[in-house]
Order: sequence, then structure tokens, then C-alpha cells
Amino acid sequence: MKKLDPKNLSAQLHYRAAGNPPGTLPSSAISNCFPGLEFDFRNVWRRIFVGITLHEADNYVLDAEPHLERLVGHRLLRVDGQPLVVPVVGPQRPGADPIQLTTSTNPEGVTFMEWSNALAELLHTKAGKKVRCEFTLEKSPLPAAIPTDKKQLLVEELELRPFFARGEEGPLAVIAEELAGPGELTQGLCSPWQNDYRECACYYWAASRPDYVSVEQGPQGTSVGINWLQKDRGPEAPQQYVLDNREDSRLVSYDDLFRHWQESLHFQVEGRDQDVVTLPEGESRDERSK
Amino acid sequence: MSAPSEALAAAPATPQARRLFSLSAPHAPSVHLFQTEQGRHLLVVNGSRLFDVDAEVFEALDRARLARDEGALQRQLEALGVSEAPFIDDQPVESPPVRALSLAVAQKCNLGCTYCYAQQGDFGGPARNMPLQTALEAVDLLLRDVGRGERVNLSFLGGEPLFNRSVIRAATQRAQEQARARGVSLTLSLTTNGTLLNAEDAGFLEEHGFAVTVSLDGLQETHDRLRAFKGGQGSFARVMENVAPLLSRQRRMQVSARVTVTPRNLALRETLDAFVDMGFHSVGFSPMLSSPTGRDELGHAELELMLEQMVDCGREFERRLIAGQRYPFSNMVNAMREIHKGTHRPYPCGAGAGYLGVSASGELAACHRFVGDEEGAMGDLATGVDRARQARWLSERHVHRQEPCRSCWARYMCSGGCHHEVIQRGRPACDYIRGWLHYCLEAYGRLSHARPDYFGLAPGG
Repeated sequence: MKKLDPKNLSAQLHYRAAGNPPGTLPSSAISNCFPGLEFDFRNVWRRIFVGITLHEADNYVLDAEPHLERLVGHRLLRVDGQPLVVPVVGPQRPGADPIQLTTSTNPEGVTFMEWSNALAELLHTKAGKKVRCEFTLEKSPLPAAIPTDKKQLLVEELELRPFFARGEEGPLAVIAEELAGPGELTQGLCSPWQNDYRECACYYWAASRPDYVSVEQGPQGTSVGINWLQKDRGPEAPQQYVLDNREDSRLVSYDDLFRHWQESLHFQVEGRDQDVVTLPEGESRDERSK
Repeated sequence: MSAPSEALAAAPATPQARRLFSLSAPHAPSVHLFQTEQGRHLLVVNGSRLFDVDAEVFEALDRARLARDEGALQRQLEALGVSEAPFIDDQPVESPPVRALSLAVAQKCNLGCTYCYAQQGDFGGPARNMPLQTALEAVDLLLRDVGRGERVNLSFLGGEPLFNRSVIRAATQRAQEQARARGVSLTLSLTTNGTLLNAEDAGFLEEHGFAVTVSLDGLQETHDRLRAFKGGQGSFARVMENVAPLLSRQRRMQVSARVTVTPRNLALRETLDAFVDMGFHSVGFSPMLSSPTGRDELGHAELELMLEQMVDCGREFERRLIAGQRYPFSNMVNAMREIHKGTHRPYPCGAGAGYLGVSASGELAACHRFVGDEEGAMGDLATGVDRARQARWLSERHVHRQEPCRSCWARYMCSGGCHHEVIQRGRPACDYIRGWLHYCLEAYGRLSHARPDYFGLAPGG
């Protein structure tokens, strides 16, 4: 028999099944702005407005019901007067004055604010109600700033869905099914953690490994070494760090990681590749260690 | 002290109250245990979390609880995976913004209720009305720093507030204009003895969607004994005549009855059924624990009678809810809602925090009961909230600073009880409060099983 069964809302919200780590609770999960290990929480935002489907981590309209078809490909810039994008400002080089930072893929120099924080207050006060949504006038594949001319905006009143499922007497301790049907919170995790070896730089589980390995002092007194994701890391490999431009075939690709991460990557012990790790007797499945 | 009451003279049996006093006794600060027809239940005090547990867990926790072995309890909670960092820490709330004000628009009254905290309406001072300018300044204070989408409440109390009808109307209009301009959600309330209500008031209160609370202490004979005009004649007939048009006009407005329970009106069930039948939006009871003269306060024996009656009313609420019938017994409706949410708080109410009272002369007080009382003084309209006094109040009134609350399982549900009553008389009603909460926990156990839909739970869940 089950020893313990949470009954009221506070018990349900904070309940963690035996053996589950703290990150399995939505309140402590990593995935508020990145996909988590257990589920990709961001997926709850895709249908937060009735009638349109948004990108889980961008203000881009992916799909819409027929009567809102004209919004597909546009960007949602403001909800109920609250902006969803802000200018990116900073110095371009050390010591320089801060300026609005633009690039060829972000010509207006703005960034979208992640949904959880952008919508928290609105969900508190306006859930279940229609709110004023302002979109770009044109389809916008690239990030777009909020224009000062109101004629450059497309306005729709859309209903904001409540985050929690509701019963007659109020919210339940579960996410509304309209936001996340069965399977949707985990659907983005089909190739989950192997990605992280390439994706994650700081403050994330896969970041706690050296990425600059076989480092030695070069003739000029500077260090020389290689990228731990380089395919050729043997003793004869050229001591040249290959920058990851996501295309260079000298580096391990996502596909390589999904197919055979354990052969492509090795333990790094004292800064060097260990292609043979001695495992305890009878537990080895690795051909190379036999 | 109250004289032995008539009710006590022919004291009926109180098996429910005695059972509840015994079962709800404070053994451990971290857990409480109870059983219903549905099984065994655990309240984890931290976070007011409720669990169903099996016999093995129940008995192990019960042994540790009765042995007052807090270390063993903590180890067991840890093993069950329900040990969490404290949901409520020792930090007092800091400089909370004003979000609710009650205006003592008339510090005078035409009734002479002996137990009245306002000492028959004038709070022990000269009778006076709040000047219009003071009321408007209070409205400005309430709406000054409110952001879009936030909620504020403005209430009118006294004395009898309808002695100053014109100021109520002007303040309401000002508040609504400002709230609309700022996109703020405003709720309005009025607490009245009902003797001065007229047809125009009904229209005004309905138009503005007031929550109207009428003080009623029982049916005619009982009410007239407790709530007579200062000249001595009963007020019941007048009040009911005035209230009837309001009851039939409730659409946006909600008209509730509030019963102050003294040793002289302990027939709660009869009172509740009668007021529910009359069409009140809700009916609630509060025990008289502290009166300025000491008259009509409830002692332990009377609180036992009251608990027996409250449980009788609660049982009827359970029956009616299961039968799908309306029975707006507000003590029970509120208890079920808060238990279901798992409400846990360090203060019993917003008094001295986001809620303040304003006296007729513009002084701020911790709440409507502290008007004119140095104990709860919080600055005035001219100089604003006295943040130093407020900080001291919030630090001293935190439930972690209260005794014997710190060792009581009910501390985050009761939160130490009404500040005014505690400061005046201490905590004479802990057994009653725990007994009532224990009953409410049992009722939640039954109702969440019998009517999961009432709580929004899935059937069979």
C-alpha cells in the first residue's frame, strides 16, 4: 500500500515522489528558460493565448486557427501594455560606451524576454480574460522592436488561458490541459542530454568538464591545446584549437553524439584524454578496454 | 468576568466538543494527526500540507508525537519525503503597501450593545462624524501607490457608519473614479447595525456592488436582549424591516449576517438556519472573547457549548453540500477553502500591515478595532503610515513570537488569533480554536471524498 498520498493543494504542489531529485518540481526545475532534464517546461507557453500557437522560447507565431491565420509568421510585441521585447544595450569593446547591439540576424538590436517572467503578473490578474495583443504588422522572421507608430502594429484581443486547471472552487495544483496535453512537456526531449555536451557553456550540468585539453606550453610561452570535441585528439593530432562554428567537420557533430557519444568523448583525467578506463572486473562492456 | 449564564444553568451534553478538545490537544509543533471514515490523515504543519497515510505511518508518527519526540518526527517526515525548508521564516513583513482601509466614518451609535469594542460606538471619546475632507484624504492614501491590476478594499465602519451617509457616498465615488483611472480593482464593504438602512441605501449599495455585513445576534428575542437601542427597546424588527429590501435586491451586492456569540445567544444552529432561509448571502459566527467591560465574554465552559453548536452547524453543512443544497455557513465555507489551499500565514489578518483603520479625525490604527487606542497607533493621514511603529508591530505580532503558539500545531492556520483580543485578554480560546480546526480537518477529509467536485478535484481522485 502507498504510505502517503498528498490531498490538499499545498501538499500536491510540493510533493516529491520518493527518489525524485529536487529538480523534478516545477518550482525548482532548471527548465524555466532552457529545456530541463526531466521535462521542457517552456512548452506550456505555446498555447497560452487562445487561437494562436507560439514558439516556446520566442515571440514568433507558429500557427493559428483559421480566423487568426493572418498572424502566422508575425511577432507578438506587447500584451496588455506590457512589452515582450527590450533593446539589447552594452559596450561593443572593453572601455567603450554602451550602445544598442545589433547584428545581421538581429538588425533592430532587441531581445525577447522569456515567457515565464514576461507573463507572470498578467497570469495573476488577467487569466481567463481577453487582453490586448500587439503584433508586428508584417511577417517577421528576424527579431523586431516595438515601433513607435501605432499604425505599424496589428492588434487583436486574445484570451489569456489560466495556467492552472480549474475546478468549480478554484485552481487545481496541475497545469491546465489546454496548455500541455499528455506528452507535450517531454516531447522536446527526444535527444536530450547528449546535446548538452555541445550546447552548454556555463552553470549547467554538462558544463562541469574541461573543454580545452592536452594543454602544453608553446614556443612563445603561451598555451597550446585542443578542443575536447575534436575528432582527432591522438598524440599526432595538430596542436591547434578548432573553434566551434557548428559546421567544422573536424569537430564531433550532434549526430555523432546521439549515435556514439561514449566512443567519441572520453574521460578527461588530469587534462588529457583517457581512451582506456579500467572498469571493475566483469562490468566492462567497452570493446577497447578488453 | 461574565456571570454564570442561563445557557450554563441547563447545560446540555457536549460530546462532540469534549471529543474534539481531547483529539486536538497540542502534542507536537510539526504535525497533527486525525482519522475519519475515509482513513488516517496527517497534517504537516509546515505549509499546512495534508496527506492520507497508512496505518503503519500513522502509528509511528503518533508514538513520536505523544512522546513529544521532535527529533523522531523530523526523521520520519524526512523519510516520507515531506520534510521541506520552513515555508514561513522569522522575518516580519517589511513596509507593506496600504491595500485596504476601513473608515470609522461615524464614531457614534444608536445601539447600546454591552460587549462592543467601540464602547457603544464612540471608542470612549466624544461622538463625531468623519469630515468629508478626511475621508477623501484616506481614499487618496489607499489609491496613491497602487499599480494597474492590483486589488484594494475600502470599508466603512463605525460606530454606525450610516450616521454619515453623505461621506460614505462621496468617498465611494472618489475611490471608484481613481480606481477606474488607474486600472485598479476596487471592492467596497459596509458593516452596519441595519437600523438606519433605507431604500435609497439599497439602491446605492447594489449599484456599487457592496459587501454589506449586518450585525445580528439571533432571532428577535435574543437579538433584542443583546442589541437594544440606547433607550432600551429592541432593534430586531426595525433591522429586519430595513434589511428585507436589500436581501431581495442582491445581484452585485452581497448581504451577510454576522453573529457575535456571547453566553446569551448560544443557539447557533437555530440562528443559522433562520438567517439562511431569509436569504442572507452568508452567515458567520465569531466568539466574544474580549469586551471593554468584561461583560458577555465567553469562558471555557461556554466555548465548549459554542463548539458543540458549531459542529452541529458544520454537520448540517456537510449534509447539505452532499445533497447539493445551498447552505452558506461562512465559517465552514472559509475553512474548507483555506484548508484545501493549504493556507499558512504568520499573521491572522492584514491588520497593521496592508490593512489599516482610519479614525474620524484622520489617525491611522492597526485596524478598525484599534481606533483611538495608542496600542495600535500607526501614524495619521497627514504624515502617512508611521513605518517605525508598523515595523515594531509586525515584528512583535509575528506568530513565531507568540506563546503558546510556537509549540502548537494550529499556529499557521489560526496565526495567533485576533491581535485586539489577544492584547486585551490573552488567549482564552485556544482549545476552542484547535477543536474547531480539528473538526474542519475531519470535514475536509470527508467532503473531499464525497464531493471532490466542490473543491475542483476529479471524481474518485
